[in-house]
Amino acid sequence: MSLIYKHFILKIFQLLPLLLLFFICLKDDSFFHFDFFDLLSLNFQYIIIYYWVLKNPQILGYGFIFLAGIITDVILGLPMGISSLSYLAIAALATYTRIVTVRVTLLTDWLTFIPALLLANLIYFLVLYFFDIPINYLNLFFSSLFTFLMYPFLWIPFELFRRLIRSSHG
Amino acid sequence: MVTNREDVGIAIRSAFLKKGTQQKFSLIFLIIISIIFLYIDTFQSKPLNFLRSITKDVIYRGSLAVSLPGKGFKISFQSLERHFNVREENLRLKEENIKLKDSLYGIEFLKVENKQLKKLLDQEKKSTSLLMNTKVIIDKNSPFLKSIIVDKGAREKIKKGMAVLDGNNFIGRVVEVNFFSSRVLLVTDLNSKIPVVVEPKAYQAILSGTGKESPVLEYLPKNHEIENGSKVYTSGKDGVFLSGIPIGETKKEKNTIIISLYSDFSQLSYVNINLGEQYLDFK
Repeated sequence: MSLIYKHFILKIFQLLPLLLLFFICLKDDSFFHFDFFDLLSLNFQYIIIYYWVLKNPQILGYGFIFLAGIITDVILGLPMGISSLSYLAIAALATYTRIVTVRVTLLTDWLTFIPALLLANLIYFLVLYFFDIPINYLNLFFSSLFTFLMYPFLWIPFELFRRLIRSSHG
Repeated sequence: MVTNREDVGIAIRSAFLKKGTQQKFSLIFLIIISIIFLYIDTFQSKPLNFLRSITKDVIYRGSLAVSLPGKGFKISFQSLERHFNVREENLRLKEENIKLKDSLYGIEFLKVENKQLKKLLDQEKKSTSLLMNTKVIIDKNSPFLKSIIVDKGAREKIKKGMAVLDGNNFIGRVVEVNFFSSRVLLVTDLNSKIPVVVEPKAYQAILSGTGKESPVLEYLPKNHEIENGSKVYTSGKDGVFLSGIPIGETKKEKNTIIISLYSDFSQLSYVNINLGEQYLDFK
């Protein structure tokens, strides 16, 4: 009985990052959007995807990442597939980093997040350009910058949570 | 060097092509699917539009369900705040009521005068401005796109291009219609271009969204004399909206004229869709 309960709790724990990703995609207001300064917006999805694909890819399936992108596109009114593509680019960079990196620290994670963000934004820019959809690129730049700066602050609770899952496993 | 290049190749292959632990799809497969989705998005056909409508309706409802607790909390907090300010507000409203009563007589007179003048110009219109009240179900506060989702769609004969009002003030137009929901592009969005008329000299212009709080006026005549506080209305030049729907007031800022909107877009809960004359045709 105790073993089943423990297994159940572990499953719930493992589902939390995925649920958080879908919650943010579905929620009609971004978490860190401050009204007093329009430029300060955070792409929380990028951080969740990058961190969990990098650290524990079993938790965040690529299929779910794709689905999260489709949901984001529908909610934001963008062509379906654009966010999926940028999220998958983040996931691809995270997978590549996981494969080639031996020693993982916050700094290496943080620095390798830069090319992932650049690639995701490049995809975003290219697709919007081909679809002839104007957006405020300054906002996109500041959003990416703020997402990059916020990464360590979210890395810490995520790392603690990951350790909690690992300890529940063992 | 060759070994390094081989290592990179192996790493890329395993990152993109292999499914990985407990992964059902490989990255490259999903990337291709995303590109196919983007390609399909450019096509318009009945079955595809049907599928899109269903998908979007389901996601909008899901979003509404997820946002409900947060919205409930926000509403409770606002009502609590209102409760504490009620006495102060009551006094202010009493004063305002007296002022409004005074100005009412003037308005009545102006109405009669306006009617007579319209008759003279032979421009009197039949009252066809039918409004449908809708609830805002998604108000994604995105820094990139300014749009809202309302809970009425093709089922209620909503059509693309219809004007959307907050009370009597113009706030945007319908750009996407699903079965049970529609997307409204707000005038603040970068993609929004609305033909307007600026009073009192009836200058024709285009109201362009900037992605920020206030849209700007474009294509004004060269030697215009627009002052701060001039009222801006829809001109109806595009043939879709009715003319004379109030939008906001002008405000000079350096070389541009920005519009201070009458509606606060962060407070939209219910909006009216102007069904106009098109709706009457259906009946």
